[in-house]
Amino acid sequence: MNAGPEISQAFIVCISAVFTQNILLTYFLGLCPFLGVSREVKTATGLGFAVIFVLTSTCMLNWLVYHYVLVPLNLEFFRFILFIIIIAAFVQLVEMVLDRYSPFLYQQLGVFLPLITVNCAILGASLFMVIRDYSFIVAVGYGFGSGLGWFLAIIAMAGIRQKLVNDRIPQGLQGPGITLIIAGLMALAFMGFSGVLQAR
Amino acid sequence: MAFGVCSNEWGGPDTVNKKPDARKIIIDGLWRNNPVFKQVLGICSTLAVTNLVLNTVVMCVALIFTLSLSAATVSLLRKFTPRNIRMMIETLIIGFYVIIVDLVLKAYWPEMSTNLGPYVGLIITNCIVMGRCEAYGNTNPPGPAFLDGFFNALGYSFILLIIATIRELLGMGTVLGYPMPYFSGPYWDKWIIMVAPPGAFFMLGVVTWIFRSIEIRREHNTK
Amino acid sequence: MRDKWWFPVVYMFVMTSFFSSIVIGFSQVTGARVEANEHLAFEKAVLSVLPGLFNEGTSRSELHRRFVERVSSPDKKTGDAYTLKDSGQTIAYALPISGQGFWAPIKGVIGIKADLRTITGIAFYEQNETPGLGAQITKNTFRSQFQDKVISSAGKSLNMKRPSDMLGTSDVHAVTGATQTSARLERIINDALKKWLSEFAQTNGEGRTQ
Repeated sequence: MNAGPEISQAFIVCISAVFTQNILLTYFLGLCPFLGVSREVKTATGLGFAVIFVLTSTCMLNWLVYHYVLVPLNLEFFRFILFIIIIAAFVQLVEMVLDRYSPFLYQQLGVFLPLITVNCAILGASLFMVIRDYSFIVAVGYGFGSGLGWFLAIIAMAGIRQKLVNDRIPQGLQGPGITLIIAGLMALAFMGFSGVLQAR
Repeated sequence: MAFGVCSNEWGGPDTVNKKPDARKIIIDGLWRNNPVFKQVLGICSTLAVTNLVLNTVVMCVALIFTLSLSAATVSLLRKFTPRNIRMMIETLIIGFYVIIVDLVLKAYWPEMSTNLGPYVGLIITNCIVMGRCEAYGNTNPPGPAFLDGFFNALGYSFILLIIATIRELLGMGTVLGYPMPYFSGPYWDKWIIMVAPPGAFFMLGVVTWIFRSIEIRREHNTK
Repeated sequence: MRDKWWFPVVYMFVMTSFFSSIVIGFSQVTGARVEANEHLAFEKAVLSVLPGLFNEGTSRSELHRRFVERVSSPDKKTGDAYTLKDSGQTIAYALPISGQGFWAPIKGVIGIKADLRTITGIAFYEQNETPGLGAQITKNTFRSQFQDKVISSAGKSLNMKRPSDMLGTSDVHAVTGATQTSARLERIINDALKKWLSEFAQTNGEGRTQ
């Protein structure tokens, strides 16, 4: 197998997952924590890093499990349950390892890890990867790009929301309402990137 | 797995351990504790398909099916399930119903199955399903749990259908694929933005705003 | 019994096997149908680009029967295109096309008359474009534009024009708001047609008369 074009395709998929097809702003995945944990830049950063890490790793794991276990056994439809169990188990494992070996990282990321299992972006990326039939290298690029895209979106949102704290917002619009409208504006801005990657 | 961030971030009242009362369950699910504008839960998996009414309808039916039945099943097993593996069992049960929906769609409506793509599978991580199983199914008998799941899903569906109808009408001039007078005519410049992702965010934001304002006014008046 | 250490393990195991066996049993029942759906989607696409073979509301078994009876399988001579023959005379070709769409591969079929110039139709049996935008390529409003268009001999075989532009005999309107899908689809179609026409000319020893 020639790896050259694979890697360049992985790179392109990665960039497009960050900008043109941002998993949060075009697919609405991971919206719950996005709305919930975007009040402060600091917490958003922690969660964002945790998402990048878990998303990339579970994309790899799920790819391997899907292609080496489920496909040979003809149990592709089982992926829904298996993927989420793998994600949950992986998160649990990371939590234990961090707790044992790196108290610093555990302090930084530990509290966010349990939230990640229910983050639909993680499962969503794995499912998209299967539907689009990515090869392993491309799937890794896609996982990383999706995580990075989510990270960028939540940090930008947290920054904006910190600025909004003292603004007067109509009562009914406070909280989720205004956050969603800002997210809409961000999605609009990100649509501007779609010219970056022209059809090849 | 924790739902702290999902469930009470915006402070919706919870219905744990209340005496089951069908009327209350219905009103809570549809309005007072509405999953979308009150709890702001689980919009991720469905928002993406709200640019077409038909896709939304199918997705909502799938959600109603999954949510009501898995809440009932969780509640049936609540006396036997050990607490420490409760979450795993709930995921398993939800996953089971989701796979059934996915298989039925693949076999009998393949076009719809490809249209919805991965979003059917994403019902598993839809916080509202897990949230209702946790908050209600776990502590109440199967009958009320089923009702609670059903009306929560219905409350969720009606908001999404409003969003989908407006998006499809303004964005494409059709509803359910049928051209609408005026909107499909030459005088209506189609708002492509409504069909694109930002349209969903704007619509959901505006709908949340409107319904919350109504709710705030109502509470204000009753006080 | 609930307090025993092994109870959760056994419970989890029993539950998993119970639900899994139902799902596996269910998938056995629907499996054949799912597979048939995939074949049928392709057959339906082929039939719908060939003239006079497809109308809405035809039953599944009837579609399959028509495909088997009327459409001849591809061979070297036709450059891997399916052919529709009437009493030995070739009426039209159905050429499978595929390529990368915006999100995922687009697979479809394009129909060409025996004169190798006129398009009889286009259909897609696999695509994952954005619902409501790129996915509009599967709608009749988009597909019916292709009927009776002429493959241009100079430049691109077929052109996708902006929705406001005037159309020539080799032009169709792109999907509004789906620039990427349209650009990629244009490329898929043109590459496939160019390749097919040149192969056809080689194997049959005759160029297209212009």
